Amino acid sequence: MPSEIITLQLGQCGNQIGFEFWKRLCLEHGISPSGVLEEFATDGMDRKDVFFYQADDDHYIPRAVLLDLEPRVINTIMTSAYSKLYNPENVYLSKHGGGAGNNWASGYSQGDKLQEEIFDIIDREADGSDSLEGFVLCHSIAGGTGSGMGSFLMERLADRYPKKLIQTYSVFPNQDEISDVVVQPYNSMLTLRRLTTAADSVVVLDNTALNRIACDRLHIQNPTFTQINTLVSTIMSVSTTTLRYPSYMNNNLIGLTAPLIPTPQLHFLMTGYTPLTSDANLSNHHNPLSSHQAVNVRKTTVLDVMRRLLQPKNMMVSTGPDKTNHHCYISILNIIQGEVDPTQVHKSLQRIRERKLAQFIPWGPTSIQVALSRSSPYVQSSHRVSGLMLANHTSICSLFERTLNQYDKLRKRGAFLDQFRREDIFKDDLNELDESREIVDGLVQEYEAATRTDYLQFSANRRGAKAEGAGDTKSEDTKSLNSADL
Amino acid sequence: MPNSNNNTSSKNIGYEFKSLISKLREGVHPKDSQELLDRMVPLAVQYINKCPDIFDSPPPLTEDDCLDKIMTILESNPMWGEEDKPGSVFHEHYVVASCEIEDQRMRDLLSNLILFSLETDAQYVPLNEIGQPPSRRSRSSTKVDSTNRSSCSSILQSNGIGLNGNKNGMSVKPCSYDPTQTSVGLGNLPLPNYILDTTKQNNVNTDHDVVQNAIYSFMGVQGKYLKKDVITGRFKLDPLTMKTISPVQCGMLLRLSELGYYHDRVSKFSNTMTGYNAMGSMGQAFMAKLKLEMSEFHGQVALLQDQLNAFRQTQMRDFVDRDQSWLDRQREQLTLMKLLCWYMEPLRRMQWLTKIADACQLKKGGDLASVLYTFLNNGDPMINKLANDLLTVSCGPLVRMISKWMLEGGIEDSHGEFFVESLDEVGADRLWHDKFRLRHSMLPKFITLELADKILKTGKSINFLREICKMEEAVKGRKELKYVIDNHVSHIFSYVPDTTWHAAIETCYSQTSKHVLDIMVGPHKLLDHLQGMRRYLLLGQGDFVSIFIENMKDELEKIGTDIYSHDLSAMLDAALRCTNAQYDDPDILNHLDVVVKTPYAGDCGWDVISLQYTVRGPLATMLEPAMPTYKALFKPLWRIKHMEFVLSTKIWKVQMGNAKALRSMGSEIAKATYRLHLFTSEIMHFVHQMQYYVLFEVIECNWVELQKRMQQAKALDDILDAHSKFLHAISIGCFVNTSTNMESHLEVVYENIISLENWQANFYQDCFAELEARQQMARTIAESEQAGRYGLTTEQKMERDQERKIFEQKLITSCRTLEGFAVSYGKAVGGFLLALNSSDDPNLQLFGTRLDFNEYYKKRDTNLSKPLTFEHWRLSNVFGTSKSHMGGRYSMHPQTPSQFANHGHTPLLSWD
Repeated sequence: MPSEIITLQLGQCGNQIGFEFWKRLCLEHGISPSGVLEEFATDGMDRKDVFFYQADDDHYIPRAVLLDLEPRVINTIMTSAYSKLYNPENVYLSKHGGGAGNNWASGYSQGDKLQEEIFDIIDREADGSDSLEGFVLCHSIAGGTGSGMGSFLMERLADRYPKKLIQTYSVFPNQDEISDVVVQPYNSMLTLRRLTTAADSVVVLDNTALNRIACDRLHIQNPTFTQINTLVSTIMSVSTTTLRYPSYMNNNLIGLTAPLIPTPQLHFLMTGYTPLTSDANLSNHHNPLSSHQAVNVRKTTVLDVMRRLLQPKNMMVSTGPDKTNHHCYISILNIIQGEVDPTQVHKSLQRIRERKLAQFIPWGPTSIQVALSRSSPYVQSSHRVSGLMLANHTSICSLFERTLNQYDKLRKRGAFLDQFRREDIFKDDLNELDESREIVDGLVQEYEAATRTDYLQFSANRRGAKAEGAGDTKSEDTKSLNSADL
Repeated sequence: MPNSNNNTSSKNIGYEFKSLISKLREGVHPKDSQELLDRMVPLAVQYINKCPDIFDSPPPLTEDDCLDKIMTILESNPMWGEEDKPGSVFHEHYVVASCEIEDQRMRDLLSNLILFSLETDAQYVPLNEIGQPPSRRSRSSTKVDSTNRSSCSSILQSNGIGLNGNKNGMSVKPCSYDPTQTSVGLGNLPLPNYILDTTKQNNVNTDHDVVQNAIYSFMGVQGKYLKKDVITGRFKLDPLTMKTISPVQCGMLLRLSELGYYHDRVSKFSNTMTGYNAMGSMGQAFMAKLKLEMSEFHGQVALLQDQLNAFRQTQMRDFVDRDQSWLDRQREQLTLMKLLCWYMEPLRRMQWLTKIADACQLKKGGDLASVLYTFLNNGDPMINKLANDLLTVSCGPLVRMISKWMLEGGIEDSHGEFFVESLDEVGADRLWHDKFRLRHSMLPKFITLELADKILKTGKSINFLREICKMEEAVKGRKELKYVIDNHVSHIFSYVPDTTWHAAIETCYSQTSKHVLDIMVGPHKLLDHLQGMRRYLLLGQGDFVSIFIENMKDELEKIGTDIYSHDLSAMLDAALRCTNAQYDDPDILNHLDVVVKTPYAGDCGWDVISLQYTVRGPLATMLEPAMPTYKALFKPLWRIKHMEFVLSTKIWKVQMGNAKALRSMGSEIAKATYRLHLFTSEIMHFVHQMQYYVLFEVIECNWVELQKRMQQAKALDDILDAHSKFLHAISIGCFVNTSTNMESHLEVVYENIISLENWQANFYQDCFAELEARQQMARTIAESEQAGRYGLTTEQKMERDQERKIFEQKLITSCRTLEGFAVSYGKAVGGFLLALNSSDDPNLQLFGTRLDFNEYYKKRDTNLSKPLTFEHWRLSNVFGTSKSHMGGRYSMHPQTPSQFANHGHTPLLSWD
């Protein structure tokens, strides 16, 4: 039906978070694990057609394509209670079944080989929708399938559907623990390149931050994947809530993302969610309809929520300390749910502005956009007001810098490159890696440039042409003026 | 002497007796009234029994003497001819009636009483003997006479028909000082004054004439001495006859004649022919009351005249009879002094009547009532009573009109007096809003605007129910209400509106309102329709609008003349089907329609296509006046959706896609693309904030407010009022018809968006052409290399270089054009922000700050700094933590920007 969005789940991580996402959506729309609308949900004013379609027998079927090169996760899904939810034709398991071995190149090549079969599925889904708006890709950037095959798919999708948006929910690896995947920096770098060039918007889900939030905020000692994934599913579901519960604005993907992304490359979005409490988290393990009855509803105000969303500790991206304190918000969209008095919203905005709780870019107008959204009547929240922030913040480049550094360390030693050379794309040389590095470095530079007043001249600078000296001094002036103002 | 114990019974008997006597005297022929005479004697006997000491014993005259005199009096009555012989008729009856009375003294008393009653002008009771000329006193030197006279007067007194207003039947002791008297009486000091006595005898005729003149003048009739001034209408003394009377008399006459003047005035006011009267049915009621007052007054004057006539007759007869003894008798002679005493009360009444009637002339209806109402506020109980009576009478027709209107919805108002008027030329389709209205000039002061409004709405509701909803049955409990409303006329102008009448009005109002409200909200789904209009006309259903636009995007781009509405209807249906609108009540959706306006040259689909919500039946009556506002509101909302559509799907999306495609030549076109991207994001920010402001802050916030008010509504008009307020607030918020230049700034912004779209299309076309050329070149080189030739000929290379140069040149020009847009856009936004910041409306100021959340514009444009800093100061006050400041937000006085400039910050201090 209208403005449909097709979800592609790739690899172990992608399928896991996708699984949690669909679980969540079913819960919110009152769809049973087998895809049948629950009796209490028949008169809903929600919009299910964006993410689901109705089969002939009134089953709601997710517009999801499940792809993996190894059967473990998909098998788990297909043996779970939700097995009947998905269209079995949309579940694609590589016949080879060996996975990508955490190797980006392997995933990429396999994607190339399997593309016909995969695009059969995707094309069929796309044909089945009235006005497809875009694709949502769930994957991790560090593994093999999600990163490699995901990268390949993104490139192909951008070619094949140039007018459709490609949004990704990309899981970045946990930097706090040593990964067993040694080539992780290579994988990340290569995927980041595609995320930069082929995707339209990337929602960064940083495992580092997610784990920290689970430990520090939710007091879970060793958070499991499931616990982390429920966090992710919350973010994914809330960030699509304006699409599913339409009101006056932000009812399509483009309306949601376009104001956030000023230039094509600066499309990496951070998320933040508040209030995060353990009971909110735990609730997803059980049937929330029963477990939530006893929970006290907390009196959170809109201002509280909006203020907390601006605190870094609530961010799902660990950006590291901003020593120079120059990073700033390019754009912010707050999706507020719950019982909100509309007048509260602009009062809160005014307060935030007065107290300068957020630092914004100097080179263009921007502000905190607010979307008030209805929330599902079937999932009870323990909070009166809750909010999700989608933000485009320049400090996200520290994440890429970190990847760059790790990559550089490995690359300098030329370590673990053999398995990459085995694949077609690296058969001749390792240019692909260097190019990727260059592009990601360019991205980091662009984000850095975006903190400055002279971002407009960035293009000129990038070319290395220092011809516009006058412009530079002028920008210096404005910059000093700018800092004086602040 | 009657004492106060048997006062009542003797009074009644006395009264009856009196009336018989007066009938006799007024010319009822004894023949025709035998039973009258039969009744008279026993009554007199009873009376004597009650008050055995009315005359001191022995009675002044013997029975025979009395009968003689009675007969003479009766015979002398000019109304009866000689042959009638009323005297002998009376005598016969008297003999028959009194034959049973044995006691001679009783008989004497009886005859004396009858004679005395007959003789004395009983209607005329001297005002407690004040003004009794000393000469009179002197004549009544004998004890008998004095007592006799005063006892008589006391009878009359106790009969309660004294003219001095002392109607409580208070008995006055004769020959004594009475503390209730209004002036000191000399009554019990009889001093003989023979000089005066003689003068009086000489002037008997003159006196009579003067008094007669005075009495004439009371009725506005000219006499010998008093003539009317033609111009003023006042009486003046006739200079010819003036000399014949004493200056004292002249003065008294003039004074007395004042009453005549006022009498004339009042009679003029009470007569429709003069043209000085009040008008309309309420005026008729008023005049009727005036006439009633007049006739009461005439009655009083007639009694005076009677008294005068009686005295005159007696005097004449005595004169003829040469009965000197009668000349000495105490007589109730009318004198100017007596008249002066008497005339005070009627004069005041007439003066006030004149005053009131004068104020009321040419007034009608509610206006008349208002005027009368002002006289109510008088401390004098008499005036208050008078005004009250007049007002009560006048309000009678008004109350009937109100009752008819409120209970049946009818207006019977041939004189245009009712404060509700029905406009005949307005059709039933505009019944609710325009058909009936208040006629403010006819609204009585004592009916508050609120009450009048309620009355108006009640009748309007009844008309509405009957004519539009075709519901004939009236609301229950009408009869009691009708009774209450019709029978409590004086309640209408009660100082405190808490009477049963007001309660009945209130009940009637709330019942009817409730009825209409129930019908509109219930079967006619008013609230659902309002919701529907908010959703579809005011674009509250975002998904529907975006899908609708998406479906129609090709049509919207077309030239206006190529668009056919039947194509669009299908698209509308499709959009309704596939969005959340499908869950809406089909009843609501059926009202939604897409219309194509007649296109002007150059109009495209966006300009001519609009949504329309058609209302029918009773709803149309309610909502039709709001429809133009909805139409006006739809335009800017539609336009902003248009802009969002252009910006996101046409500009931004293409940019994102092309950025990928043009990556290979990214560095060359970067300068242009970055400018393009940043410019786009700037506009995007503006449009989104604008949209957010309009859709959320203006419409949604006001909608929430409206919903609240709709829930609380007790009457339909509460909802409609709230609704029109809602629309008004939105019109302001959407910059519809603002007097400021915000609209024009917005228009420039929008124009720039359209130009940007065209520019971008050309730009990317050039870029892709160049890219294609390069790829072609690369392919050629590759091919020729494969073929083993040199890659390029010099010619080809030169041609390519030339093309490239042209492209670069084009890039530079494009950049310049883009910069031009950016400058014009920047100017427009700057102007818009300035207008917002210097606006009086705090909401617009807040919107201004929101648009410039990170102070980007402020830094760029120094003009903005001033109002912004000022406004910042002010906002920190406005949005202080304490709620008390919130109140100030609305009470703040608007300040114009020029004032800011002139006074700097100084005037602000006083605002706290």
